[in-house]
Amino acid sequence: MARNDDDDILTSAVPEPDAEMTPSERAQAKTFAELVDKTLAGRTPPAMSTDDRALLEVATVIRVAHGGLELSAAKKRSLVEEALRRGIGGAASTTSGDVAAVTPIRSSRAKRWAPWVVASVSMGLAAAAVLVLWLRTPAHDQTAQAFSHDDDSLIGPIAREHSGDASARIDAIFADRLDGFRDRRLTVRTRGGKP
Amino acid sequence: MTKLWAAALVCLGIAAGSLIVSCKARDARDHSPGTTRLADPSDVNDEELMIALAQAKNFHHKAKVYMSDGNVAAATAAVRQILSLQFPAGAPEADDVRLDARALLAKLLVSQNQLDEAMRAVEEGLASSQRDSFFVANLHTVEGEIHEARAVQLDGDEATKAKALEERHAAITAYDKSIKINEKLQKQLTGDR
Repeated sequence: MARNDDDDILTSAVPEPDAEMTPSERAQAKTFAELVDKTLAGRTPPAMSTDDRALLEVATVIRVAHGGLELSAAKKRSLVEEALRRGIGGAASTTSGDVAAVTPIRSSRAKRWAPWVVASVSMGLAAAAVLVLWLRTPAHDQTAQAFSHDDDSLIGPIAREHSGDASARIDAIFADRLDGFRDRRLTVRTRGGKP
Repeated sequence: MTKLWAAALVCLGIAAGSLIVSCKARDARDHSPGTTRLADPSDVNDEELMIALAQAKNFHHKAKVYMSDGNVAAATAAVRQILSLQFPAGAPEADDVRLDARALLAKLLVSQNQLDEAMRAVEEGLASSQRDSFFVANLHTVEGEIHEARAVQLDGDEATKAKALEERHAAITAYDKSIKINEKLQKQLTGDR
């Protein structure tokens, strides 16, 4: 369809205030009125001209600016519940869509206790770890320290007349360590460890 | 609420840290560590120690047999072999066995009139000792005996009489050291009981 200057109401020349309405202007006004009615009813057409869209936006802004708009029942209910929830100490919830998500009171209490539970369990674990480290000293270390040691207590002071009796002393040392060696081996096997 | 969660997370961090530290500490105790540290008697391999002690025992018996046979040179060689035995690192027995072997070696060398060689064996032993022990005291006793033997040698000549006196003084000093160590260790042992 061919368009003349009158079709473009935003760019065409502004008519005189007392000038008679042309049929084209009448038709455009009627079309736009229908478009506004559809938008108010929530049935905004998916496609429209750029000029119509601009005019529609202006019309919407003017309507909102005048106030007196009614909220939907679902929106009203969600806002009241949100206010009540804040009143009992809950955090603001995020909204998805028009209706805000409302958290039950029981769930809110659980959320308040959760950090304490996590903290208590963590501290319990830490204490248990320290206790395990402290109490479970491997028996292997204790026997090892008892096994290899100096021989001062075993040999005692060496008299001058016995200073060359190294053979007797090594016999004593060997016998002492052999006892320890056998004890150690038997202990390890009894515990089921590797010898 | 956010602060509570932060506190809870800090506690969780402490718990995780404790667990990691416990595990690492147990691993460090159970396995040999990667970092350098001094050998400890608790690390000593019992089998290696028993083998080393058994070898030392055998060499001493071998030396004893040679001595009873009058073969002092062979006995000396057998005792020298004890000094080259490989003991596990950190075993206090290594020090004791070697010091005792050096004392016997020095006495054997003295009996062969090799006084300088005997003194060298004693001095090397004293220099290598890690701590005071009855074996160190015994080595000082042998040191005193060597000084005495030197004094006896020097007594024969009028010109070396002063040197003989010096040797006798050195012998007394060595015996005093031996006595001092023995007293200190005996006090320690009595105190331990």
